[in-house]
Order: sequence, then structure tokens, then C-alpha cells
Amino acid sequence: MANVNTRVFFSKTGRAKFISHLDLYGVFQRAVRKAGLPAWYTEGLSPRLYLQFMLPLSLGQEGLREAVDFKMLDEMSFEEIIKRLSGALPYDICVIEAAAPVMKNTDISRAEYEISGKIDLDGFRELCERDSIIVEKKTKKGVSEIDLKPYISCLEFSDKITLRLPAGNDFNINPTLLLGAYEREFGKTSGIKIVRTQIFNSDGEMFR
Amino acid sequence: MYRNQETLNKLEGFLLDVEKPARYIGGEPGSVCKDRESVDIRFAFAFPDTYEIGMSHLGMKILYALKNSVPNYWCERCFMPLPDMREKMLENEIELYGLESLDPIKEFDFIGFTIQYEMCYTNILEMLKLSGLSVFASERTALTPIVMGGGPCVCNAEPLADFFDLFAVGEGEELNLEIMRLMERCKRENRTKAEFLRMASQIEGVYVPSLYDVFYNSDGTVSAIVPKDGAPAKVRKRIIRDLNKSFYPENFVVPFVDIVHNRAVEEVMRGCIRGCRFCQAGFIYRPLREKSHETVINQTKTLLKNTGYDEVSLSSLSTSDFTDIEELLCNLNKWTKDNRVNLSLPSLRIDCFSEKILTEISSVKRSGLTFAPEAGTQRLRDVINKNITESDVLNSVKIAFEGGYSAIKLYFMFGLPTETDDDIIGIYELAKAVVEEFYQNPDRPKGKAPSVSISLSMFIPKPFTPFEFEPQIGEEEINRRVKLLLDARKDRKVSISYSDSKLALLEAVFARGDRRVGKAIYTAWKNGCIMDGWNDYFDFEKWKQAFEECGLSMEFYANRRREYDEIAPWSMLDMLVSKDFLIEENKRAHNFESTPNCREKCSGCGVSDCPVHKKN
Repeated sequence: MANVNTRVFFSKTGRAKFISHLDLYGVFQRAVRKAGLPAWYTEGLSPRLYLQFMLPLSLGQEGLREAVDFKMLDEMSFEEIIKRLSGALPYDICVIEAAAPVMKNTDISRAEYEISGKIDLDGFRELCERDSIIVEKKTKKGVSEIDLKPYISCLEFSDKITLRLPAGNDFNINPTLLLGAYEREFGKTSGIKIVRTQIFNSDGEMFR
Repeated sequence: MYRNQETLNKLEGFLLDVEKPARYIGGEPGSVCKDRESVDIRFAFAFPDTYEIGMSHLGMKILYALKNSVPNYWCERCFMPLPDMREKMLENEIELYGLESLDPIKEFDFIGFTIQYEMCYTNILEMLKLSGLSVFASERTALTPIVMGGGPCVCNAEPLADFFDLFAVGEGEELNLEIMRLMERCKRENRTKAEFLRMASQIEGVYVPSLYDVFYNSDGTVSAIVPKDGAPAKVRKRIIRDLNKSFYPENFVVPFVDIVHNRAVEEVMRGCIRGCRFCQAGFIYRPLREKSHETVINQTKTLLKNTGYDEVSLSSLSTSDFTDIEELLCNLNKWTKDNRVNLSLPSLRIDCFSEKILTEISSVKRSGLTFAPEAGTQRLRDVINKNITESDVLNSVKIAFEGGYSAIKLYFMFGLPTETDDDIIGIYELAKAVVEEFYQNPDRPKGKAPSVSISLSMFIPKPFTPFEFEPQIGEEEINRRVKLLLDARKDRKVSISYSDSKLALLEAVFARGDRRVGKAIYTAWKNGCIMDGWNDYFDFEKWKQAFEECGLSMEFYANRRREYDEIAPWSMLDMLVSKDFLIEENKRAHNFESTPNCREKCSGCGVSDCPVHKKN
């Protein structure tokens, strides 16, 4: 039997941003079943549908090009997979592309975010231009201090803030850390919307 | 897709600050959105408990899909927000909204509560208040929204009479649509609420409490219930005759978050042949009606295909009583295995538990098994008409142990009529015998001990059961009996858990309360009582105070033996089972006599046109 690695890119916006990463597995699992995709199940005592999300997205953030991997047991065209899965997913999750994986999830190195909402852009710019931005970051080992400054790149201002931050399963900086630093000095923000627009590898290439 | 932008904007501002926000935003697969301009009747199906509990409820799934199957009706869902969400809603001036449109439900034509158990009554008041409505039916003077109630508690809805406009008695599939059609007409004809209610009272199964005056004797009992404005003296519950022809959903709303029962549910039958005398469901859902195997299999396949679920439960009050259940399981199992679907069977009876059923259901998960002997001795099991013997119990656990199970949970009831200390010791002795059965199995896993947990719940006398005349035992006596059992327990492999006796007392009060109890519910709610079914929120002192403030006695409702000829507060309802039959069954209980089940022999319960009776 064929065992075709398949990567599906999808957006998760609107009401779907309130689906937690943990619950997203169930949502996709049921969608794959509804779509009738011949996908591979893990073996062992309690087999489950194999689904691997490439990079968790925080609850409340939107993602425009998220990725999930599974394995197909039978050949099926990517167009067909897109068509079937689109019909089976909730309204605010849209399939953008299906393809054979090119990169590994360990290749993920950075992500681009757009931040908008009630926030003083001048204040935010001032914060980002400092020599160091020290924040507390929670890790598995506990709380440690970290300087965000060297990690921020491609910072741009328009009606919203665009920036890139380290991303990946080993080292990840959530934009909320930077927003927290801003709030401590410049006061509370409100109506903040965070959108993850792109995921990149270490060479700055789009994750594929 | 329509959604109320104003509410959505407000929600977006704070939803991340509440726990599990996906419960409050809708948009789940299977949820139904319509164009609000093209619908004529809007219905808010309100479940007065959390999202996780409400979304597990089968009745809601059926009625939601049914109403939405009518093109110009739109039914939405609404649940009790937890305190963190409630606070945020008040802070941000958001009124209770339907999860589909996010429109405030007070703009709807109906707010229909399903009333599943007594301890959610204050939640109903809270949800009405959060909707921006008065909790009192008499203060809501406009035609819409009509606040209606359905579900098992409606068979004595008197404690809620002040708050509801009407109750739908019995099964809702036909009745709900009839009520909605009447509203369609009344809106067209510019009728008043009073006119609507008068007309509604003429529909079989509709009980409009404001059309009945209740009078009392000096001893506090009811002296008369007098209907007015043409309302019927007896409101007869509605039933669906043929389950093969009645509506069943082809899809469920599948939640994003995990809920209590996150799976497809196929209802295989309604009613129960057993007639356990404490069990309200066993009497109020009569007669027994089954779906054909073909219907069950087709509906199950459709549901699984449309929801994407990988688990289905075959649901009923006692699924092992389903005709040719083993054959059905065999037929289904071939298909479910190929499609990686787990079959689960809730509510198995001890005497029908077979190796065959066990292998059919245990192919995937092997956790604990639960049985409900309900009473510790044969004498008491005869009193409650739980027609099983100790050897039935031991046989079943033997099969279970041989099938690889090692954890057994046993449900018992406490404070049953005629219960003695011997019956209580008998509970422990039965559990002990189950432990010993484990060691009789030569193939038992070595070095592993069985675990037998006794789960005790308080007996609550319910209307329309043979025990509706019985007193609940008082708190001191409850505590003495619990202690007796705890002291008898020597074997550590047997564990005992029991429910709050104060909660059970209130449940007993509401179950058989009259209209005056509504004042205490209102007062307690005003004083902050809410989510009473949850230990963290239940505040008995406040309830005690409320009853005192209203000059009402809990003991009068809960702990008093009622004469056979007393007029019960619910006697305007006809649940098809006759009172004479209930009295006869009560007498038999006190003579320690059991009654054969409906398939063995018809006992003449008063239900006409009973399919079980016809078959025999």
C-alpha cells in the first residue's frame, strides 16, 4: 500500500481562533473521517489517526498559513484532498494547499506576525529601538529572563505592526511577550489582534 | 453567514480572558445558520447548565435539528455561562445570546428550557435575568418571547409555575412544531400573549400554569386545582407512536471542546419494561417503543458519516432489553470495526449481561464496568422491583473479570422505603462477594487486586412513581446509616462514595413541591444561589434561610408520608400511567412483592395502545 506523506496548509481565523491547539486535533481528525480520506492510523493498543501539526498556534491568534501532516494510504490527487477536506472543516478553517512535504518541522526557524488593535505605535517603536528588551519567559525549566531585542527582525509599521520572531518547537518567541513588555511601560492595550502570516526556515524561505 | 457584529466585537475584546472560550462563540460543524430576514420563528433552545453538559444531551440534538429542518424556523443554542463569563458579560453589557447568530435571545419568539433535573432551577432564573427579561411570567407582557419548558422535571413543574409561560408535557417532536405554528399564526394576526396562551392550552400536551388556580387546605396540602379560560382539567402527555417514522437528526453539532459525552448517539428505544419503583423515567416514558434494526443501523451510519465521530453509543433507558440486541451488535460491529468506530452501550442490566455483549463492546476500550444492583438485599430489591438476584450480580462480574476487567463500580440507593440496617450491611456484603468472585477466576492477572467502588445516592421520591407517596428519611438518620456502612467496611479493596444529603433533601422538595416553593427558589436565587448542582457553588445555608423567609418547610415536602387520596400538586397532568396502578404498586412494595416486567406479563399500568401488550 502506498504511504504518501501529505502536508495541508490551512488558515485558522475568525471564530476558529478560539479553538485550542489541543482541540484542533479532534477537529481535524473528524474532518479527515468525514472527508473519507484513507489516512494512516498509528498502530498499537489504541490506534489513532496520525496528524502532526507543524507549529502550535496560541489560543486567540489567527494563522494564515498553518501546516499539518498526515499520511495517505491510497493515492489521491491533492486537488481532491483539498476539495474533500474543505467541505468537512468548520467554517473558519480553510484549506489553502495540499502538497508533499518539502521541509521538516525542525527546519522551522521564524514566523511573521501582524499585530493590530488599540496600541500606541510610537510607543511600540520606541520600545523596539532600545538596546535591550528584557522580559521573563516561562520555559519547561522555569522562568528565566531573556532579551527580546536581538530576536526581532523585519519590523515594519503601517496601520499595523509587522515583525518576525523565532519560531519552532525548540525555541519560540510568542509576540505576546513583546506586547507584555509594552503594556508594563505604556499601559494596557485593547482589542489586540495577532495574525501569524508566514512561517520560514533558517534561510528565510517560506515553509513548504 | 450572519452573525451579530456588535456582540462579536464585544466578545472578541475579552473572550481570551475566560476559560475555554470556544464554548461561547458557536460556529461548530453542524451548527445551523440561517438568513435572519427570511425566518419567521426564532427559537432559543436553552440548557440551564454548562455547555459541556448541555451539548451531551440527546433531546437537544433531536429538537434542534427538527426545528431547523423547517425552512422558516431557526433554532439556536444557549447555555449557562460559568461565573467568569457571566461577570464579563455583565461588565461588557452583553445579554444572553444564541450561539449561532450571536443575537440576544430576548428578541426571539421562544426561549425553551429543557429541565433535566431539579438542581438547575436557579440557573433558569439567572439565564432569564442575563437575557434582560423579568423572571416572572406575569411581568413579561409582550407576545414574545414565550418562555417554555420541557423535559422530565415538567411532570411536576409547579415550583417553576411563576416563571414559565407554558410547559410542553411529554415527547416534543410533534408538540414543539405545533406550538411554533401557533405562534406563526398569532404573530400574523397580531394576537396578545394572553390569547396565544389560551389557544396553546388547547393543544394536547401544553400546560399553561397561569390558567390554573390552586387552592390549599389548612394543613398545607392542595385542596383543589381549578382550570380556567377553557384550559383542560387534565393535560395529557404527548408520545410518538412509531419511532421508525419519527424525526431523527442526520447530523449533530460537533463541539470544538471536549464535552461529557463526545460521540454520536443513536436512540434505539424509548420507555422501559422494567418498572423499578423508584425510577421516574421508567414510568413517565411508557410505553416501550423500539426502532427496527434497519432504522438503527441506517441512522447510525448516517450520523457517523456526517459528524466524523469515531464513537457511537446505542442509547436508551436499558439497552440490553432491546429485542435481539446481540444480533444487532453483530451486524453493526462488522461495519464499525471496518470504519474504526467504537460501539458503546450505556445502561446494561445485570441479568442481561452476556459474554457476547462484552466481547462486542470491549473490542477497543477496557476500563471499568458499572452495575446497578440498587439495594443490598433481596428483600429490598423486591421492594423496589429491581428484579435481579445476587447470583445475577455475581454471574455478571464473573464474566467481566474473565473478560479482563478488574474495576467494578456498583450503584446503590440509600434511604429506600422499608430500608433496615440489614439492608445497609448487605450493600457491603454484596461488594465483598464481588471482590471474592475476582479471586475465583483462575486466569486472573497475577499480583493485581480488584477494585470495587460503591457509589451511594440518596433515594428521592418522584412524582408518577409508586414511591411518590413515600417520605425521604431525615438528615440525622441518613448520617447514621452512612456511618453504619462506613464502619462495616473492612476490606480496603472496597471503596465507598456518597452524595450530599442536603442536596438530596432539596431535590426531594422540588420534585414534589407545589407552587409556593417558587417563592423560595426566587428568594434563594436573589440571595446568590446558583449552579446548585455543583458542590463548589451549592450553599445549603442560603437555601434554609430562603425557606424560612418564605415561611415554608422543607420537611413538609420531603419527609412526609402522603396519603393515597391526597391531591398531588401535579395532578393536572396525565402521564398515561394511572394513579390506581401507582397505588397498587406501592402496596405491593410494602408487601415485599415484585411485579413482572412488561414482556413477561402486562400489569395494567393504564397506558392504552401499548405495543408491548399488543405483541404478547
